[in-house]
Amino acid sequence: MVFPTVQFAVFFPIVLALSWALMRRQGVWKPFMLAMSFLFYAAADPMFCVMLAGMILGNQGAAQLIHRSDDARRRKLIVVAAVTADLITLGIFKYYGFFTPEINGLLDTVGLGMPIPLADIVLPVGISFITFQAISYTVDVYRRLIEPATTIDVGLYLSFFPHLVAGPIVRAREFIPQLQSPRDPRKVAVGAGVVLIVIGLVKKVAIADYLAREIVDPVFGVPQAYSAPDAILASYAYAVQIFCDFSGYTDIAIGLALLMGFVFPQNFDRPYRAASFGEFWQRWHMTLSRFLRDFLYIPLGGNRGGKLKTVRNLMITMLLGGLWHGAAWGFILWGAIHGIALVVEHQFRGKIRLPKWLAWFLVFHIVVLAWIPFRAPDLDLAGAFFSRLLDWGPATLWTAPIVILTFLVIGLQLLPSRPMDALRVRFEQLHPVALGASMACVILLVAATVSSQGVPPFIYFSF
Amino acid sequence: MSEPTEPTEPTEPKPQDDPRQRNRFILDRESGRMLRARDALSCVFVAAILLMLIEGVSIRNTGEKMDAGIQRSAVLAVGHPAGWLADQLPLAAAADKLTAALSPDDDLSGGPGGFNSAPVGGGPVQVAGEGAAAAPITTDAFDSADLGVKPKPLPTLRKLLVTGDSLGQPLDVQLARKLAGDGVVTTRDVHLGTGISKTDIVDWGLLSVKQVKDSQPDAVVMFMGANEGFPFPAAGGASVACCSAEWAVTYARRARAMMDTYRRDGDARVYWLTLPLPRSAPRQKVARAVNAAIAVAAQPYRSQVRVLDMTDVFTPGGRYRAAMTIKGRETLVRRPDGIHLNDAGARVALDLVLARLRADFAKLG
Repeated sequence: MVFPTVQFAVFFPIVLALSWALMRRQGVWKPFMLAMSFLFYAAADPMFCVMLAGMILGNQGAAQLIHRSDDARRRKLIVVAAVTADLITLGIFKYYGFFTPEINGLLDTVGLGMPIPLADIVLPVGISFITFQAISYTVDVYRRLIEPATTIDVGLYLSFFPHLVAGPIVRAREFIPQLQSPRDPRKVAVGAGVVLIVIGLVKKVAIADYLAREIVDPVFGVPQAYSAPDAILASYAYAVQIFCDFSGYTDIAIGLALLMGFVFPQNFDRPYRAASFGEFWQRWHMTLSRFLRDFLYIPLGGNRGGKLKTVRNLMITMLLGGLWHGAAWGFILWGAIHGIALVVEHQFRGKIRLPKWLAWFLVFHIVVLAWIPFRAPDLDLAGAFFSRLLDWGPATLWTAPIVILTFLVIGLQLLPSRPMDALRVRFEQLHPVALGASMACVILLVAATVSSQGVPPFIYFSF
Repeated sequence: MSEPTEPTEPTEPKPQDDPRQRNRFILDRESGRMLRARDALSCVFVAAILLMLIEGVSIRNTGEKMDAGIQRSAVLAVGHPAGWLADQLPLAAAADKLTAALSPDDDLSGGPGGFNSAPVGGGPVQVAGEGAAAAPITTDAFDSADLGVKPKPLPTLRKLLVTGDSLGQPLDVQLARKLAGDGVVTTRDVHLGTGISKTDIVDWGLLSVKQVKDSQPDAVVMFMGANEGFPFPAAGGASVACCSAEWAVTYARRARAMMDTYRRDGDARVYWLTLPLPRSAPRQKVARAVNAAIAVAAQPYRSQVRVLDMTDVFTPGGRYRAAMTIKGRETLVRRPDGIHLNDAGARVALDLVLARLRADFAKLG
């Protein structure tokens, strides 16, 4: 089920009302919410629920075994087994189809004609997010950062529908404590929730989908048919599209959770104002960034083993971060570009001081260029796109709405946040009825911009 | 990556307690007041009621288009009363009028000139012997290759239209990429979720006319049929269910009307791809009826309309297969849904389409 659809518009008010009605009776509320979350996930494919249930039970079993054991070796063995099982599940669903032809080609080349069987595997939506959250739970129990929760709480943590399919990646120790007692019905951030939902809808439907339809998809689909002006605008437009698409989703997810009394971590904080790559990763997909830091970079040794080891750890972290997005060389290249940029930044920290505007300009444009292999269907087309950036010709897709939207979204991130925050707070303080009426008006306006093809899936659904 | 530090000590339950997470939660910022749960419900239900009053018809229509199941029942449980309410009020028309400028599409969901109003395209089923005059046979019905005559190729392919439903992807983009270097301008215009046997989203009778008017293509590649099998209206308010001969007659009539539009009185060539059989048996039944109708529809225009057989290529002997041998290697050619072609499969179709384009046009681009 996708947020901006009629199905969800029917589903959510009913679930919200029943959720608050049952909130004080946690023995009823938890099974109810678990059932609703599974129903939400089953709308994509009921078979996915089997995988989700398996991950819940598998990780809960491992967490219980870890907790009961005082033997450090045994605890380590269990956590390694659990994380490996999670990663194998992810690998089978996500990477089998990518690596099989590559390995078969390699086997053919060296004359070992024993091909690995091909299989057309359906990728369960949100599997990457679910896997990371499952790992977060088991590892946090292993690190003794949290006690094992009840099975139903773990089930709710992994399946809670607002963050089920595309994050934010909520850590077990952020969410499970919120399940320990009923949410307080006198303290609900209604205004903040509604404003986030509205902003998320506008970002996704009115901006991201519009730019995708009008410029990004045509130019990235057939870069050979366009020249530099269109390719340049398309590369900026894609930077805006992916920001609006993904941050729009997390805005809606955080907003829905707030209306239900739950708090999720922020995932985006005006990333295109970053003047360094370190800062970019503190502002872009923040929950993935901290997951990679805490579960990969630091366990690898972080920056404690000298320059070379830091370089190695940064590169491994960013390459795997790229691969996490999907099984394609473009994602790996994207990770490599960010890894190299972080390494360079790390090596020259304190040695070269650029004016802030120049640092921003460089970082922003490297980020925009790195999106090209990320978005292009394959490396050949990414190469074709790069070559078009230098091939001057007519601007065929430059229209006022595209240019204004693209540069407005980027420009707003560069402005001081205070005036926008003041405006947001004013909206949040409206009377609930006025908030509801405003939300309906925005939904009507946004719905009018949807093409007959419907609302395309969020980009991060396929990750 | 943010500046690496060691993991924090256990500090939960309050997320705000972790200093590294400062300002990482939306409620850490200056925010509006906290309200009660009942205010959240008031807010959401005010929005829901307003939307039902204004968009009730859309909710009902969405439900009616959905596949049978719990989701459809839930949407229709709201959609029917909401639709009835909206029918009684003038709000929907007013909202449509106010937001019409924002719509990215023309309204092509039936109406005058569409299949359901045009006697040729989609009137009630009329079979031979019921008073229909024998159709005239013209030279358009003969492919010069069948006659053993050297075909006279069209001079240059400058403008290509690739259209259809979701089956048209990723063939559309592959064709556009392949021909971009030759200077062929390719218009990609696929309409997901649409079909010749359903006119609620897009009426292909209207759309095909608009496509030809807009892009004046020298050639049209058509690949559709993933969403067929819907009943056709018949005389006396009855309907003809898929997949009888009567159903195929109406499908063929509609397809023929589209072919006639696309061939532009003989100035253009049409490449209509048949359906590779899908994996599921009920869908196979529909696909067979569609393929039979396409073959019949093309008969009067065989000099301009090429029916490209994808059935035998991808599903020889009428048996579904997910993979086939390409360049000596077993390769997946279908998507996991068992309906669509994947990138490798579309490349196979692409080669067949390109071969026919090269045979029909003296020069590409």
